[in-house]
Amino acid sequence: MSNQKKRNFQIEAFKHRVVVDPKYSEKTWNILEHAIHEIYNHNASGLSFEELYRNAYNMVLHKFGDKLYSGLVTTMTAHLKEISKAIEAAQGGLFLEELNRKWNDHNKALQMIRDILMYMDRTYIPNSRKTPVHELGLNLWRDNIIHSSKIHSRLLSTLLELVHRERTGEVIDRGLMRNVIKMLMDLGSSVYQEDFEKPFLEVSAEFYKGESQKFIECCDCGDYLKKAERRLNEEIERVTHYLDAKSEAKITNVVEKEMIANHMLRLVHMENSGLVNMLLDDKYEDLGRMYNLFRRVPNGLLTIRDVMTSHLRETGKQLVTDPERLKDPVEFVQRLLDEKDKYDNIISLAFSNDKTFQNALNSSFEYFINLNPRSPEFISLFVDDKLRKGLKGVSEEDVEIILDKVMMLFRYLQEKDVFEKYYKQHLAKRLLSGKTVSDDAERSLIVKLKTECGYQFTSKLEGMFTDMKTSQDTMQGFYGCHPELADGPTLVVQVLTTGSWPTQPSITCNLPAEMSALCEKFRSYYLGTHTGRRLSWQTNMGTADIKAIFGKGQKHELNVSTYQMCVLMLFNNADRLSYKEIEQATEIPASDLKRCLQSMACVKGKNVLRKEPMSKDIGEDDAFFVNDKFTSKFYKVKIGTVVAQKESEPEKQETRQRVEEDRKPQIEAAIVRIMKSRRVLDHNNIIAEVTKQLQSRFLANPTEIKKRIESLIERDFLERDNNDRKLYRYLA
Amino acid sequence: MLAWKLKAQRQGYFTQDEWRTGLKELRVDSISKLKKALPELEKEVGKPSNYDNFYSYAFRYCLTEEMQKSVDIESICELLNLVLGAQFRPQVDLLIEYLKVQSDYKVINLDQWINFLRFCQEINFPDLENYDATQAWPLILDNFVDWMREKHSSF
Repeated sequence: MSNQKKRNFQIEAFKHRVVVDPKYSEKTWNILEHAIHEIYNHNASGLSFEELYRNAYNMVLHKFGDKLYSGLVTTMTAHLKEISKAIEAAQGGLFLEELNRKWNDHNKALQMIRDILMYMDRTYIPNSRKTPVHELGLNLWRDNIIHSSKIHSRLLSTLLELVHRERTGEVIDRGLMRNVIKMLMDLGSSVYQEDFEKPFLEVSAEFYKGESQKFIECCDCGDYLKKAERRLNEEIERVTHYLDAKSEAKITNVVEKEMIANHMLRLVHMENSGLVNMLLDDKYEDLGRMYNLFRRVPNGLLTIRDVMTSHLRETGKQLVTDPERLKDPVEFVQRLLDEKDKYDNIISLAFSNDKTFQNALNSSFEYFINLNPRSPEFISLFVDDKLRKGLKGVSEEDVEIILDKVMMLFRYLQEKDVFEKYYKQHLAKRLLSGKTVSDDAERSLIVKLKTECGYQFTSKLEGMFTDMKTSQDTMQGFYGCHPELADGPTLVVQVLTTGSWPTQPSITCNLPAEMSALCEKFRSYYLGTHTGRRLSWQTNMGTADIKAIFGKGQKHELNVSTYQMCVLMLFNNADRLSYKEIEQATEIPASDLKRCLQSMACVKGKNVLRKEPMSKDIGEDDAFFVNDKFTSKFYKVKIGTVVAQKESEPEKQETRQRVEEDRKPQIEAAIVRIMKSRRVLDHNNIIAEVTKQLQSRFLANPTEIKKRIESLIERDFLERDNNDRKLYRYLA
Repeated sequence: MLAWKLKAQRQGYFTQDEWRTGLKELRVDSISKLKKALPELEKEVGKPSNYDNFYSYAFRYCLTEEMQKSVDIESICELLNLVLGAQFRPQVDLLIEYLKVQSDYKVINLDQWINFLRFCQEINFPDLENYDATQAWPLILDNFVDWMREKHSSF
């Protein structure tokens, strides 16, 4: 049944018979324009969204996007001009409110318009590179309202006026401010910055310039800083409430510059209330405030630090050179420790433990401690005092604290070898007179010194302790071997290894017969067990306890030095002795003998001897008797003179000289060490290296180093290079 | 100078060998020729390459004892006059004056001697402007410069 004739069916596309109404676009636009009017007049409720959307859609579809867009621009502009007039007409305080209200209206309208024209927004606008509707709305607002000549300056001055009023204490409508500022921010950051922020910053600078001038005339430093801090916090708060967060850094900069940076020096140096006064009075709160404010400005902390440093150095210098202070070494050191404590507190409580301030403190201390060449001696005397009696009854932790503080002062010393010399002397006296409060404390300090300066520094000191211990064992052995001596005078010998103990010239005096026999027995015992050694008695360092019975039967036990014992024992065989006789019999050196006799004849309460004539000084022709009338409250009377004291001038010179002598071989050893490893080195580098190597002990003098180099050249350890005169060469 | 040329070992003495070898080099075999040769010799000594050698020889010439390393101040002053006097008259005069006045050093060693020459050659005189005490000059010269500067400032 197929129909042979095939007909080709063509299905044609269904063509809408669209009537291209030439007035089509006009009509559609009118609808939309009307809608916009209604929207602006708050009559949007009567509109049909769907219809409007469709109209806009059709216009774009039929290629009438241009007309739509330009129509939008025109209409909106016209409306905005109306709005502008309305705002301008507002009086006084209502101006801002009106602006705000109209802005809200505009935004709502814009939203609706954008929704209606969304198709255009998404297709026509990108294609023709025109501004999207929302943005367009903002721009038109900006151009017609904000930048309108009548509104522009009025807006700005209103806003600034409000800020000013708030600064002077009035309460303003912050919500309104926030909205208006937000409007400016929404219009673009350049609008915010140009039309508000920049003038705001300028005006603020003026304001704070005036404020700071006013305050600084009438306030003291602490008050001024309080005010500055308050203003700073105010501004920060202002920003959080109604300005752009990005403005915070800018406005704080303004306040910092006007109130702090510009007056920094004047504040710091203010009389009676400036930085120095705060430091002196430990005004932690004020100092902390100053620190926090000044750290915000360039060179703020530097200024504080510099003033603090020069003040510290000045005070320190006065401390160490004041002749009154120098009379009591222990006081002297205690004052130094107190000063350090004071500043440690200030730095931790007010300057938040700032490292740079710590460094400034350290360098200042190092500077002025070394101004006084006796500082090493005094620090050693301080330690001596503490270890003798100062630490009695103090808990172990507190002992550690005090010793650590002493170590800290020690670190500041440039001439550590001088300290070592004095420390050895004082330690020797302490050990030999048995006067140390705590063995543990002594050991603890030695350990600290070892940690700080190395094994070599303390090896001799430790040797001293070892000798004391060994001597105890030796004495036990001695009396163990000679039980028959138990009834006689008790001998206690400390055998000191020469290298470890401070050297003293050993001048033996004549011991009384009983003692010399005993000493000889000990010597043969000791040398019996230690062959190859030599013993020499140090009679200037010993002590003795003797029982004495005086004229009226008073019994006393006298604690005296060995010399004094020799003198007193003479009176067992004679009632009257002249100075010359005593000198001959004992062979004690004259100056020591005079001191010894003085301490026994001329001091109240210790005058076991009587002298004729009764003068204070010892003359060659004086005669001495036992003082039968001697009385004392105590049974045991101490007359010895072995306490460590501040050195007299000649002694000081001698010690200093010995130190200088000791330094020479150290310098030479350093030079040889360096040259051995470098082989060839130039003059300046040798000086630098040697100084560095010896730094932990003392500050080497370049002239002294040069002398040592020349001495080494003379002894053929080094030679000068023939071609380059500045070079030295090591000769193997 | 003759001793230097002849390489004499001992001050005041010439061995026969030294005499013969040296005079042969000078091409001299009579006293008159020797006299004539002396100005030539002076020139030869003056040549920079020979001068340092001559200069340190002069010092060693004065070491009469075995193991002696230094020469006493008086001899040094004489030697300075002889050896450096012609060329560096003002320096030598002042140096001699200083050496006689100072008491730090009683003798001068070779190292210091050598540096005297370098001092005269390198340092401006009498202003001493380019002298730097932190350089490797021997201490005696540092002290000399201080002494000179003190003298000048007291005018």
